[in-house]
Amino acid sequence: MKKTQIIATFVAAAIGTTLIGAGSVFADGTFRTLDEIKESGTINIGVFSDKSPFGYVDENGDYQGYDVYLAERLGEDLGVEINYVSTEAASRIEYLQTGKVDIILANFTVTPERAEEVDFALPYMNVALGVVSPDDAVVESLDDLGEEDQVIVISGTTAETYLVKNYPDIHLQKYDAYAEAKTALENGNAAAWANDNTEVIAFAIENEGFTVGIPSLGSADTIAPAVTKGNESLLDWLNEEIVALGEEQFFHADYEATLLDTYGADYEDTLVVEGGAVAAAETETE
Amino acid sequence: MEKEVILQYLPMYREALLLTLKIGWQGVFLAFIFGLLCALVRHMKIPVLRGVVTGYIELFRNTPLLVQLFFLYFALPKIGIRLSPEFCGSLGLGLLGGAYMAETFRSGLESVAPIQEESALSLGMTPLQAFRHVILPQAFTASVAGIVANVIFLLKETSVFSVISLMDLMFTAKDLIGMYAKTMECLTLLVVFYLIMLLPVSLLGSVLERRLRHAEFGT
Amino acid sequence: MQSLGLDVLFKGSNFLRLLGGLWVAVRISLVSVAISIALGIPAGILMTSNRKVVKGIFRVYLEIVRIMPQMVLLFIVYFGTTRVFGWNLSAEVSAIIVFVFWGCAEMGDLVRGALISIPRIQYESAQALGMDAMTSFRYVILPQTVRRLIPLSINLITRMIKTTSLVMMIGIVEVLKVGQQIIEANRKTSPNAAFGIFAVVLLMYFLICWPVSRLAVYLEKRWA
Repeated sequence: MKKTQIIATFVAAAIGTTLIGAGSVFADGTFRTLDEIKESGTINIGVFSDKSPFGYVDENGDYQGYDVYLAERLGEDLGVEINYVSTEAASRIEYLQTGKVDIILANFTVTPERAEEVDFALPYMNVALGVVSPDDAVVESLDDLGEEDQVIVISGTTAETYLVKNYPDIHLQKYDAYAEAKTALENGNAAAWANDNTEVIAFAIENEGFTVGIPSLGSADTIAPAVTKGNESLLDWLNEEIVALGEEQFFHADYEATLLDTYGADYEDTLVVEGGAVAAAETETE
Repeated sequence: MEKEVILQYLPMYREALLLTLKIGWQGVFLAFIFGLLCALVRHMKIPVLRGVVTGYIELFRNTPLLVQLFFLYFALPKIGIRLSPEFCGSLGLGLLGGAYMAETFRSGLESVAPIQEESALSLGMTPLQAFRHVILPQAFTASVAGIVANVIFLLKETSVFSVISLMDLMFTAKDLIGMYAKTMECLTLLVVFYLIMLLPVSLLGSVLERRLRHAEFGT
Repeated sequence: MQSLGLDVLFKGSNFLRLLGGLWVAVRISLVSVAISIALGIPAGILMTSNRKVVKGIFRVYLEIVRIMPQMVLLFIVYFGTTRVFGWNLSAEVSAIIVFVFWGCAEMGDLVRGALISIPRIQYESAQALGMDAMTSFRYVILPQTVRRLIPLSINLITRMIKTTSLVMMIGIVEVLKVGQQIIEANRKTSPNAAFGIFAVVLLMYFLICWPVSRLAVYLEKRWA
């Protein structure tokens, strides 16, 4: 055997490992301040492109949805163009920490773990977890699941973290993207799909043959815009903006424009958070 | 980098390695079978089947595994064919690999002089016997380098398995990054585990190549 | 059975969007191949060097390319470089860097192989005709090498086009991602769109890659 090759491969391994390892020496957090964004004339906003009705792309190639409605307004009030970056659930934190986007507006649930990695602005929507399953075998409690039953989750979502932590015995079937998870559920690849309850309710309404057996699971959380940790100028601006938008009942208008078709009027008051003010009883996180 | 994090993640990576190896090698095994069948059909010039085989090879060599997996896993159920993720993974790898192996075997077969087959036949062997005992061993020797390259290629291709919900090494890393944002630890472990998986194959491959080349020169 | 989603293709600008996605994939691979060739030729010439250090460096390089999945490299370049060096690379630039890293290794190895395969006598004859090293390289060796290389580099293009399907995972909206978006936007009205869309995406890749790889085979036979 060639000695050079063996040495070469080990050197390769060593270089790779040190390079990556060196990363931890440098502090995280490259970001653009509010002024830098304004000066450049473009803001990069990370949204979902396959999560209807919150963030998706319509047949003309335009981004649409509840999150996007807000994004459009932010761009307008900042006076800059918006560059939408299509993200997956699992890369949202990474996108902020590496400065690939200025703001994440991708149905990002506020959790203490995430708050250590990114800075959340004031919330604009309520959320809990929910579980949807086929009509012929509705899952009403996670304890009902048989040993063989699998539950679909999307990698990097709060549903995944919650189930990993609280139901370590449930066999999870993980996907990268919403589109994949939904198609898999449709195709009958798993017993149920656990995700934000907003999302599973929408799925059950839009797709025949599915029922939300567990409408609320885990703690009541909120969804908020997030920026790179330490980006205070942008965070402060966002907070002021959300409070100001509350005065004109912006998020109710957002709901009516993007979510009404799916949810009807019944969910409007439960889902919408106006002006960043969550009902006091529900703010129990941390 | 935090040592505790790495230690905490190790078992998950080990599990992912085992799954990747299991499905990867199942795929490689299937690829061998498919490739061999195709090479045989082409070599024997079996009508009709030959056309099918060529179509299969061209289709799978000219499309990405990722798209093939999407088709197998997400599209086929729409017409009533549902396959488990693991089965899809091995089958997808096997089909892709089969097309590559077939080409590799073919160039191996082409390197065997026609006189070899003619001599075998004139000794009274049936075409199948001649193929099995005379041509195949020589062709195999000639294609070892190609086969090793294909095996490494196939084991690397497992990195797209996340789309069909298989927790291979790549997906495990992505998933952990998504949940706990320890990017550096996760990527380092990922690189190390790919080295653990593929270095032995790569080294073994070069040893095998050299040995066989010597054997060839010796005869 | 309901429609298999082919109708969805012609809704709005869906079909054009898929083609646009395909163009993103093709563009990334063409740019990468061009740079790979430009860098691969000097790399290949260097690889023929007998110096231990040079040889060692290239061995390490080739081995990394051989063992690491492109997917892993994409993640390291896209997310890792920002963390290590603070560079903020766009997804497309990261993809091109990874593809060039890979392509340059392959091209280099091919160039090395081609250079070595040219019989000694060619160099000697050129010398006997009074050409200096540069002239003989330029007029004798290079033309022959290029002829051998063109089919192989065309092959690399198809492999790169196929590999571009991975860039979806770092957020580039290429044909497969567009396909998913279309399926998602039409889930309600045509739940079986997944079949039609994925079949069409598969076909699109085939229609791009197949003629190119036929061309490579043809050139290889013709110039062999």
